[in-house]
Amino acid sequence: MNYPAWDVPYLGSGWMIGIVAIIHILISHFAVGGGIFLPLTEAKALREGRKDWMLRLKGYSKFFLVLTGVFGAMTGVGIWFAIGLASPNGTSALIHNFVFGWAIEWVFFLVELTLAMVYYYTWDRIPAKLHLTIGWIYAAVSWGTLVIINGILTFKLTPGPEWMASVGTGRESEYFFDAFFNAGYLPSLGLRTLACLSLAGIWSLYFFSRLDGESDGKTKASMVQWSSMFLIPSFLLMPVFFAWYVFTIPADHRALLELGISSASAGTFTHVTRMTILSVVSSATIALAVMFFAWFQPTELKRGHALSILFLALLATGSTESVREFLRKPFVVNGYMYSNGVRVNQIEGFNRDGYLTGSVWSPVSPDAAFHHKSVGERMFQGQCMACHTLDGYRPIRKLLAGRDTTSIGSVLKMLHDNAPESPYRKFMPPLVGTEEEIRALRDWLAVQVAPASH
Amino acid sequence: MPESLGPKVYSWLDERLGLSPILELALKKRVPDHKHSFWYYWGGITLFFFIVMCFTGVLLLLYYRPGDGAYESVQQINTQIKFGWLIRSIHSWSANLMVAAAFVHMFSTFFMKAYRAPREFLWWSGFGLLSLAMVFGFSGYLLPMDDLAYFATKVGLSIPAVMPVVGPWIADLVRGGPDITAYTISRFFALHVVILPALFIPLLLLHLGLVQQHGMSIPESEQQKPEAERKSIPFFPNFVFKDLAVWLVALNVLALLAVAFPWPLGPAADPLAPAPADIHPEWYFMSSFQILKAFGGWFPGVVGEFLGIAFFNAGVVLWALVPLFDPNTKSGQWGRRVTWFGFVVLAVLIVTTIWGYAVLPAVAH
Repeated sequence: MNYPAWDVPYLGSGWMIGIVAIIHILISHFAVGGGIFLPLTEAKALREGRKDWMLRLKGYSKFFLVLTGVFGAMTGVGIWFAIGLASPNGTSALIHNFVFGWAIEWVFFLVELTLAMVYYYTWDRIPAKLHLTIGWIYAAVSWGTLVIINGILTFKLTPGPEWMASVGTGRESEYFFDAFFNAGYLPSLGLRTLACLSLAGIWSLYFFSRLDGESDGKTKASMVQWSSMFLIPSFLLMPVFFAWYVFTIPADHRALLELGISSASAGTFTHVTRMTILSVVSSATIALAVMFFAWFQPTELKRGHALSILFLALLATGSTESVREFLRKPFVVNGYMYSNGVRVNQIEGFNRDGYLTGSVWSPVSPDAAFHHKSVGERMFQGQCMACHTLDGYRPIRKLLAGRDTTSIGSVLKMLHDNAPESPYRKFMPPLVGTEEEIRALRDWLAVQVAPASH
Repeated sequence: MPESLGPKVYSWLDERLGLSPILELALKKRVPDHKHSFWYYWGGITLFFFIVMCFTGVLLLLYYRPGDGAYESVQQINTQIKFGWLIRSIHSWSANLMVAAAFVHMFSTFFMKAYRAPREFLWWSGFGLLSLAMVFGFSGYLLPMDDLAYFATKVGLSIPAVMPVVGPWIADLVRGGPDITAYTISRFFALHVVILPALFIPLLLLHLGLVQQHGMSIPESEQQKPEAERKSIPFFPNFVFKDLAVWLVALNVLALLAVAFPWPLGPAADPLAPAPADIHPEWYFMSSFQILKAFGGWFPGVVGEFLGIAFFNAGVVLWALVPLFDPNTKSGQWGRRVTWFGFVVLAVLIVTTIWGYAVLPAVAH
């Protein structure tokens, strides 16, 4: 039992969130982009009297309903489970600060799922115009879910100045709009809306690739080319919104991008630069792949080709979201809470009275469920395990290999002092706790790094 | 097509370069389209990784210094030159991916019987290219001169040394002396950037020319169909566009590997230090490495090593001469036997490679 600290061996809890989240984003962004794709396509089919399109669209809306309503919803709940376990303090902060936002979001979700079902089940049962109207309402509500979640996600990197000034007063939620409509809000909304349209095009290519290019050639060609066109806005506007977004990133965090230019060390600090390279490569090539696979020869598009494009979308989404997450280092909410859940305004108290004494999740108490664990191990679980594993992802054993107890103690002291010139300061939280606790962590780490010598 | 390029520019170029016949050939040429068409792209993927490797290799040449300062220069590339680590990582990953793609290409052409008449020289030129690619890999492995490269090369060169009569002479010639020194790096460097490209590029041009000469081979299942039922697509633009899209996918796979798993550089080689316990060659030599180790275990002494080399070389020679055993366009008994031989070779390669990695001792670097 590893409650309340979520120990995921080798992979780490962060990767668990990442895997679930990337799948979710691929589907949830399709839920928004597909919401626009469906009524736009239906309107075009009605206008041009294309019965062949209407027939395919009905099948498409079933595919859309199952994918977004089942897998999208399941992975969405999965993210809540994962972040609740991996970062309870961060999750708690987001819930408490944005109660009203979450309430609106869940109302939107409910309406969205209901409308997706109504849209599918009313094909050929209600007047075409009314059916199309339902589609447009779905599109608006679905985009509304993005409008809400975007405010909460961007808040984590660029919380508003008034909200930051209210931290610790107990009146933080009064500054909801300052926190919500923060500096990164608009460029991020633009980027995500473009990504939604692209993903709508890509998932549609997958669906229409199943049409027979010979017996159904004309329909396939027109629908494949129509789907391809949904990537054009991204291709043209993504660089503009991306540049705007980068401009809103605080200078300290933007500097993280430069850390990996001349080195790719085994540690953590070059990860953001490396993932940015992947994000740029995959985002820049995806439209070209669509052009060569689909636009120029639409009847020859096969499922394998469409899956290849989906793979590129997975790379682009995964790397971009990873960059967004890592740009916040060492914080989970910039300037307010570190990535291990320690609040900036708690540091002094933790250093004076002890981390384990003050931690909600790992209290020093005779009744603690994990009392059998040593102080050093609980320090590791509380302050290191959000980002490190023992062996595997960002492995502590490898990163500290070759160091003896004194040397490990020096590293921990540097982390604890968190001096302005410390090389770790840019991407790692300060180590908090009393001298005794830090010594216990040092000794525990020394045993882990060189078990044979102890 | 010419009109869209700009008639004046096109006719100016055509007059001087003779573009029209090439364009006509490209427009007339067709590529078979069937359920096994997927395998046609692997030659192109191999070529793509080779091009990337050449480009990044030239960039690395700007900073790499063969000889005594080899390790320091790679360290400088990795830690001081802007995006040097990326170029090196792309170079190393594309080399490995090229060999992997070449293996897939070779086995797919084998099982599609694409070595049969009149394509025997395509098979032999391809076989030569893969062999040269592996020597490229072996020579490039030493160049950083870190500990694993040093000791792996030492072990690698001890293999030909056991061959009777010429073995020690060959090993000394390649090493530039009895030990691996700065001279060895210079020789490997010359091999890697001058001799091998000088052999590889003409052979590659011959291979590509033969593909144009004979066209894509059709698997037996397609050959049995009446001509009217066989499908094909135009080479230009349809196949070329698909090939370009596949190259883009390959580029992304390469980018993912190069940035997520940057190519490591170990500590500088120390000839006086004990060899690392987990010393091993690159994955594409692991099978031969393990076969030699196994024979060495079964038959102790020089006999084991010699038998191991003999067994492996016999397999390689048989593999190269396959077009001579199975020359007919229709599979008879020999055709089926050769197919089974292919499955056995594939199984031996996979099993011995996995076996080789499984018995490596776990060492933290």
